Amino acid sequence: MAPKVNLSTSVRERCVTGIQGLDNALDGGIPRGNTILVTGSCGTGKTTLSLEFLVHGALDDETCLFISVTESSEKLLNNIIPYDFFEESLIKKGKLIFVDMPVVYEKLGLDKLEFQLEEVDVLVRAIADIVKEMDVKRLVIDSITSVCYRLRTQEKIRDFILKIGATLSSLGCTSILVSEISPVEERYSLFGVEEAIADGIIFMGNLERRGDLLRTLQVVKMRGTQHSRTKYVLDLTSAGVLLVPLLKGGSVAGG
Amino acid sequence: MSVTTNVADKLMTLPESSAVALQIRAEHYFDAIRGILDNFAIKKELDSIYITSTIPSQSIINALQVLEVDMSNIFFVDCISQIMMSTSSKHEHTIYVESPTMLENLMLKVEYLTKRTQGRNDIVILDSINSLAIHNNTKILSEFLHLLVNNLRAKKAYTVIFSMEEYRSEDISNMLNIVVDETIIAAGE
Ligand SMILES: Nc1ncnc2c1ncn2[C@@H]1O[C@H](COP(=O)(O)OP(=O)(O)OP(=O)(O)O)[C@@H](O)[C@H]1O
Ligand SMILES: [Mg+2]
Repeated sequence: MAPKVNLSTSVRERCVTGIQGLDNALDGGIPRGNTILVTGSCGTGKTTLSLEFLVHGALDDETCLFISVTESSEKLLNNIIPYDFFEESLIKKGKLIFVDMPVVYEKLGLDKLEFQLEEVDVLVRAIADIVKEMDVKRLVIDSITSVCYRLRTQEKIRDFILKIGATLSSLGCTSILVSEISPVEERYSLFGVEEAIADGIIFMGNLERRGDLLRTLQVVKMRGTQHSRTKYVLDLTSAGVLLVPLLKGGSVAGG
Repeated sequence: MSVTTNVADKLMTLPESSAVALQIRAEHYFDAIRGILDNFAIKKELDSIYITSTIPSQSIINALQVLEVDMSNIFFVDCISQIMMSTSSKHEHTIYVESPTMLENLMLKVEYLTKRTQGRNDIVILDSINSLAIHNNTKILSEFLHLLVNNLRAKKAYTVIFSMEEYRSEDISNMLNIVVDETIIAAGE
């Protein structure tokens, strides 16, 4: 008998983001256990996309955790309440949990502006404990850049992301680390090391085409899946993040 | 037979997922719109998504109100009011796109409206290929039509693309021929 032809590479289980256009671009979703970077300059929709990823997980009965470093949970909640698919019960049932990072720092007695290697370990362990205890399946840290400011050196940043990535992966938790960059930057992360270590990079930006400003999204890297590398135009709506391919108009210059 | 009934009768013969070009003369413009929205879409219980790049949605809404057309399942994506700096008040059934060159955003708003109106089939009216051609080059416009029509077919939606007879050109005919199943000519006695 002839062997069956299987064109798909070995399929890793997916964490379906629930954002239809993104799941299509990722050929089904983020490979489960990946720690990925969602990166872009301010106002490009990083927080919105990350929150929606968690809401869909919670609707799917997964425990989802948002660790906020820069914004208060209350402000974030105002962002998701307008969603057509949001249910307040997700929060009451503990499926969608918000934790403020400053509170974590305080509990751990991490009050210095610069962390040492031991303190990096304490922080990773603390996050791992929360994930384990609550059986968290989706995690967002918004933003990792603010944490990196406290780590200062590339060595400590590498150490932190490697450790947190490995720990979360071993717990079967799919994670988004939000990373902030300035619009003119040539790379995908402020310190340069985050992008090399992460399992995936989703880049969000603005594109100017003959006077129109378009919001864009591009999957730059994603370990464990064959993904689209096309640039998409996105819209933030009460039905969630919507994506369509950027039209090329037959010319590179867009003329 | 009036243009209104003529257009509606022709649409009635089409299967769902059809994409057609509707060739009309300026004098029959509102009759054709009425035929599609009132005599066809409402009878078939479709949600109508009307993309206008020709005249502000408010002008069409005003005309429909005079004709006492039920507006509850008719929605507009308007990409002309903002560049015309028309100051009329915003209608609750209209979504505005800044400019007719933001073709991706037109698709995104249509996608949004089809998501919001799940459960019923849709008809999407593109008014018109000629006004979009003023603002966009042929290549990007062809790409847009191709993506839009295929997305809508997958959703089992009808697509009707207005083509104004007074502004016919070879470029426009070629563009339409690639994406539509047939061309309907709006005619009356
Ligand atoms: N549902 C929505 N509809 C329309 N606009 C929205 C919606 N959600 C968010 N926005 C807008 O999109 C913008 C970007 O949102 P978001 O906060 O997610 O970006 P960000 O990349 O996290 O920005 P920052 O770097 O400042 O944290 C905000 O200005 C917000 O007003
Ligand atoms: Mg943010």
